[in-house]
Amino acid sequence: MQPRDALTENLATHFTDRSIPYNEPRPFPIARRTAAVTLAWLVPGAGHLVLGKRGRALIFFLTITGAFVFGLGLNGHLYWPTPDPTASFRFDLITVLWFFTQIGSGLCYVVSYVMGFGTAPIPQAAASPTFEYGNTFIILAGLLNYLVIHDAFDIAAGRKR
Amino acid sequence: MHVLMMSMYAAMAAVVLAAVDPKSDTTRQRVLHGLKIFGSFLGIGLILSWVLFPIPW
Repeated sequence: MQPRDALTENLATHFTDRSIPYNEPRPFPIARRTAAVTLAWLVPGAGHLVLGKRGRALIFFLTITGAFVFGLGLNGHLYWPTPDPTASFRFDLITVLWFFTQIGSGLCYVVSYVMGFGTAPIPQAAASPTFEYGNTFIILAGLLNYLVIHDAFDIAAGRKR
Repeated sequence: MHVLMMSMYAAMAAVVLAAVDPKSDTTRQRVLHGLKIFGSFLGIGLILSWVLFPIPW
């Protein structure tokens, strides 16, 4: 039989390894996780707002929405996958790629597209000297929001603060 | 114009990348990390432009 002190020490070690320290992040309920990720895509920063990270939510909203609006103001173009019967993929791949990057900004893209912003035909839009700058900022907004969505998921899953 | 656009791009990217950095726990660490990213963007951009300038195509 082990002495009493040794037994206590062994048990303490066993439970310390398995228990979650008080200040460690914990996972949110599944409904809140789903809401956070969905809202994070729709409105930049909204996912963090749902998880109680107000400061970061405001920073993400201002930065990503600002980049998107700035890009539109510089005559950037909102891409939609264009059918191309001659391509093996049946779509012009570069438009699919641009569309994927831009749709990351969620409602910014959808609302602007529906309202007709940034949808001028490409030859007409490309005549603007700031066309490529505009595209770059719109793409930046979409890609950064993908990163923010992943961050919201990590926080919701308890992987980070 | 181009440097201004590059700076704005670097600033926006640096703000978000610093805010999502999992290794920074305090605001000070995040700000320092953001400044490093901003400087890296600008520095690498300027070096690349200097290296690529003589290439004719």
